[in-house]
Amino acid sequence: MKKMKFAKIIFIIFTLFPFYLSAETAEEQGLRIAKASYENGRGFTDMVSDQLMILIDPKGNEVTREVSGKTLENLDPNDGDKSLTYFKTPKDVEGTVMLSHTHISDDDDQWLYLPALGRVKRISSSNKSGAFMGSEVAFEDFSGTDYRKYEWKFLGEEMENNETFYKLESYPNYENSGYSKRISLIDNLNRTYKVDFYDRKGELLKTLYLEDYVLYKDKIWMANTMKMENIQNKNITIFKWLNRELDVGINKKDFEKSSILRLAD
Amino acid sequence: MLKKYIISFLFVFLQYLVASQNAAAIDYKAYGFIQPEITTFFNGDGRHGQSNSNQSIFVKGTFITYLNNGDQKITINTTGRIDEKDSERSYIDFQKFKYEQYFDDITLKIGNELIFWGVNESFNIVDIINQSNFAEDISGTKKFGQPMISLNYNHSYGNFDLFIMPFFKERIFPGRNGRPRLALEVDKSTVAYESSSKKNKIDAAVRYSTVYDDYDIGIAHFYGNNRSPELNVNPLSQKLDAYYPILSQTSLDIQSTKGAWLYKLETLTAKNGEERHFGIAGGTEYTIYGLRETTSDLGIIVEYTFDDRNDFAFNNEGVLALRWTKNDIKSTSLLAGLVADMSGSSNRFFAEFEQRIRDDLKVFIDMSINGEIDADDFTYAFEEDSQLTLKIAKYF
Repeated sequence: MKKMKFAKIIFIIFTLFPFYLSAETAEEQGLRIAKASYENGRGFTDMVSDQLMILIDPKGNEVTREVSGKTLENLDPNDGDKSLTYFKTPKDVEGTVMLSHTHISDDDDQWLYLPALGRVKRISSSNKSGAFMGSEVAFEDFSGTDYRKYEWKFLGEEMENNETFYKLESYPNYENSGYSKRISLIDNLNRTYKVDFYDRKGELLKTLYLEDYVLYKDKIWMANTMKMENIQNKNITIFKWLNRELDVGINKKDFEKSSILRLAD
Repeated sequence: MLKKYIISFLFVFLQYLVASQNAAAIDYKAYGFIQPEITTFFNGDGRHGQSNSNQSIFVKGTFITYLNNGDQKITINTTGRIDEKDSERSYIDFQKFKYEQYFDDITLKIGNELIFWGVNESFNIVDIINQSNFAEDISGTKKFGQPMISLNYNHSYGNFDLFIMPFFKERIFPGRNGRPRLALEVDKSTVAYESSSKKNKIDAAVRYSTVYDDYDIGIAHFYGNNRSPELNVNPLSQKLDAYYPILSQTSLDIQSTKGAWLYKLETLTAKNGEERHFGIAGGTEYTIYGLRETTSDLGIIVEYTFDDRNDFAFNNEGVLALRWTKNDIKSTSLLAGLVADMSGSSNRFFAEFEQRIRDDLKVFIDMSINGEIDADDFTYAFEEDSQLTLKIAKYF
C-alpha cells in the first residue's frame, strides 16, 4: 500500500514535470535567461579599464580612439551604475571627461567637461540612438545592458559554429530607442555571444559580437572585445578593453559632479 | 614684486614635490596645440584706420601630474598668442598653474585657476572670478588665470567653495591697431580704484553648488574689485580712463535638464560702487536627435538677458542660435545664430564651423557679420568689423 502510494507520487511528478516546464511562458523563459546572463557580469563592485575603439570604414581605413574609465556598480539594485570616462584621443578631445549616472527606468544623468570650454555642463541623455564618438556604437548600447530595460521572449535554440545557443528576442521599454527589436544568442554559460539590432523600420541594422570572455574573481564573465558591424553602411567598430581590473576600491565620491574637475585639465 | 616672489616660490615648491617622488614613477600628461589664424574683414580698412586683414598664432599647452597615489595634483595650462597687428593681443598667460591637495572631503588649491560659474550658452552674467581678455575676444569669454587659495568642502548636501584671491589683474583691451576695438584707447596710466588697496586688494568669494534630481544649482557671493571697469572719456587726453569699483555680487544659477530640453537661468543682484543693479539671463535649449533619420543632431538655443542699468551694454539682448552636430568621425559641427538688441535695432550674425581633418589637425571657420548698429550702441565702434577667420589647429 505504501509502495503503491510512492509509485503514484513518482508517476504524478514525472507526468506533471513537463507541464511545469511548459508552464513557463516564452516571455518568462526569455526573462530568466536574460537575467542570468546579466547577473553573470555583476558583483564587480567597481572597475577600472583602458579602452581602444577602432573605427573601420568600408574601404578598410582605420582610426583608433583611446579612452579610459572607471565604473561603480550600483549600490541600490534598483538603480544603475555610475561611470566616469576620460578621453585621450583624438588629440583635440584629450582632457574631455564624461560622468554618467545611469538609471533603469529614468533618463540617465550626464555631465561633460570640455577643455576648450573649461566648464562642466549637464547634458541631455535622451539621445539614446546617437553615435558614440562617430562610431557604430549608440549610447543605448552602453547604457542599455540592464535586462530590466527590455521585454524578453525566448525563441528557441539555435546552432552556430557547432555550438548551441539560446535565442532571445527583446524590445526596448524605454523611450527614444533607435531599435525596434534585438535578437540575442546566449551560450550555455549564459554569456551573450551575438546581438542583432533591428532599426525602427524593422530592418537589420547592426550585429554585435562579444568575444574574448574572461572569468574574473571565479564568477564574473566579461567580454574584452566587442565588434559592432553596421549591416547598412558597412562600417565596423571594434571595442577592446585593456588592463581591466575589478574591485579596486574606488571612492564612491569620485563619481560626483564635483569630482570631474579632479580628472579634468 | 610680491607676485613674482610667490610665483618663483611656487616653482621651487613644485620642483621639490616632483623631485621628492621616485623620478621613474612620475606619471604625467602633456599635450597642447598650435593654431595659426588668418582674418579678413569684409568692409576694407577699419573705421579707426585698422588693416583689412590680420594674422595670428595661438598656442595652448597643458601639463598634469598626480603625486602620492593621486592625493596631490599639479596642473599647468598655458595659453599665448602672437598677433601681427595688435601688440595688446600678443600675450602669454598661465591660465592654470596650480597645486591641489585632496583630503577625504576637502580639496585645497593654491595657484592660478580658471573658475567658471553659470549655465547659459551666451550670457554668463554670474561668471565673475576671472578677468576677461578683450583683446583676445571682444565678447569677453576668453579669461586670464586668477591667483587664489581655494578650499572645497564636499558634503552630502552639496559643495562649499571658498576663494581668496590676491593679485587683481586689469582688463586687457584691444590696442590702437586692434580690430575690433573701442573708438578710444583705454589709458593704462590713469587706472583708478574705489578700494584704497587698489590692485592689491584681496578679493573673496563663496559658492554653494549642488545637484538635486534634474536640477544643477549654484548660489554664490563675490566681494572684490569689479572685473569690469567703468570707462570714462578724459576730455584732455581723449582716451578712456578706467575705474574699478568694489563689487559685492550675489548670484544664483540653475539648470533643469528635462529630456531633450534644457532650461537655464542666471540671476544676480550686485552693489557696484554706490549703486545696486539687478541682472537676469536665461533661456532654453532643445535638441532634435537623429535629425531626419540621420546621425545628425540639431540644437535650438534661445536666450535672453536683462540688466536694469540703462547704460549697461547688454541690458536687453536676445540670442537665437542653431547648433548642428553631424556626429561623424570628423566631429563636424556648426553653430550659427543672431544676437539682437531688443530695445534698439542693432544685430549681429555669427557662425562657427569646425571639423577634424586629420587625427592631429582641426579646422575652424568663424564668421561674424554686423547688421545695422545704432550709433548709441557700444558696438557701434565695431560696425564695420564684419570678419571671417580661418584657424587650423595642430595638436601634439
